[in-house]
Amino acid sequence: MSTAFYWSIAGTAAGLILVGLWGVLTRKHVLRIALAFTVADTGANLLLVWSGYLPGRTAPVIDGSIPASEITSAVVDPLPQAMVLTSIVIGVAVAALFVVVGVLASRRTGSADVRRMKELRW
Amino acid sequence: MTETLMTAIVLTLGGMMVAAGIAVLFVRDLLSAIIITGFVSLSASVMFLLMDAPDVAITEASIGAVLATMIFLWGRGKIGDDG
Amino acid sequence: MIRTLAGLVIVLILGAVAAAVIPEMQMREELQGVGYSYASRGMDETGSSNLVTAVIVAYRGLDTLGEVVVLFCASTAVVLMLTLYPIGVKASEPSRIVAFTAKVLPAPIMLFGVYFIAHSHLSPGGGFPGGTVIASTFLLVMLGSSSVPDRNGRLPAIESLAGLSFGLLGFWGIMTAGQFLNNAFLGTGTPGSIISGGLIPLISIAIGAKVASEFSGVFKAFRNSGGEA
Repeated sequence: MSTAFYWSIAGTAAGLILVGLWGVLTRKHVLRIALAFTVADTGANLLLVWSGYLPGRTAPVIDGSIPASEITSAVVDPLPQAMVLTSIVIGVAVAALFVVVGVLASRRTGSADVRRMKELRW
Repeated sequence: MTETLMTAIVLTLGGMMVAAGIAVLFVRDLLSAIIITGFVSLSASVMFLLMDAPDVAITEASIGAVLATMIFLWGRGKIGDDG
Repeated sequence: MIRTLAGLVIVLILGAVAAAVIPEMQMREELQGVGYSYASRGMDETGSSNLVTAVIVAYRGLDTLGEVVVLFCASTAVVLMLTLYPIGVKASEPSRIVAFTAKVLPAPIMLFGVYFIAHSHLSPGGGFPGGTVIASTFLLVMLGSSSVPDRNGRLPAIESLAGLSFGLLGFWGIMTAGQFLNNAFLGTGTPGSIISGGLIPLISIAIGAKVASEFSGVFKAFRNSGGEA
């Protein structure tokens, strides 16, 4: 029963990553590339958390209702969640850097079109 | 919550998220694209909650849906809609 | 149009690869490896009810320190670029609704953020979401006022103090227990009470202060360079 639930989350995550990658490859406006990058980032985080999800268990926050001997069979994997927690914060810092560099570069070239930003091309 | 209800929620939400991700690339107005990205982040936070990851859900809701949206709105104010 | 279709072809090829790889990740029935040992020993060793916080702050504390350094570099780069290349200040007048909201809401929101940080070892939350919630209150205050913030604030001092205290707390573990970021030497206490978890609440406060001051500094730089955010 829970297989449909399980695999539809993986499908959503993979779909978001692919859509974001498509946007990064094909869009021209620098802010829209940043938005597509954020969408791909969200998809990657979903896929990571999904890899540590075990159906039918509870969150890794232990209260009195779980006996100490049964913790390992009652909670989902805490490690991917901890990794993703830091990854989200890094992601928004990278997005802020992306936006500021894009704004300054578009001020310099007079257009937000990435095809006109040729300083770093060779 | 029953299994069927959770599966229905995830299927609906997942379809909406992928459709919104495609809409980010093709909608004409940049402001709409920014708001749709915020919607994707907020839906992802609901999905984290369904996957028993409340810490990640809180972080995604406060960072991905608020701070990232504000950063993009600032960038749109500086660049504008052209292109 | 050609670009879009070519990109679509590349993405479809990658999608076929993903569709072949992802089903290989079988649905697991049991915890394995590191996750198993964190789940079985985490609460006894760290005294934290929230295993995710135990992993972030105690077991992977060194990685979190590196992650905070990455965050510091990114925010420094943003502030530095906006200071070196100013874009031009555009003083915008907030609407009455925003001005009123910015008077009423910041105190409860900040209390919520402090709660996240203080209860990081008991309930979902922790230094990262708490810090960003506090930073969003500063953002709201900035949106609600028509003047630009003072350039000479104390934010860098708070940021440096928080980072320094994270490192010093780690070295305290070396001095007393022979291990960087060892958190058991203070005593782990009873899991579930507010004074428990050894070093975890202290490090959470350091992380929260650092994240809050970094994002506030980024938004202050945005505000000083003009614009509505």
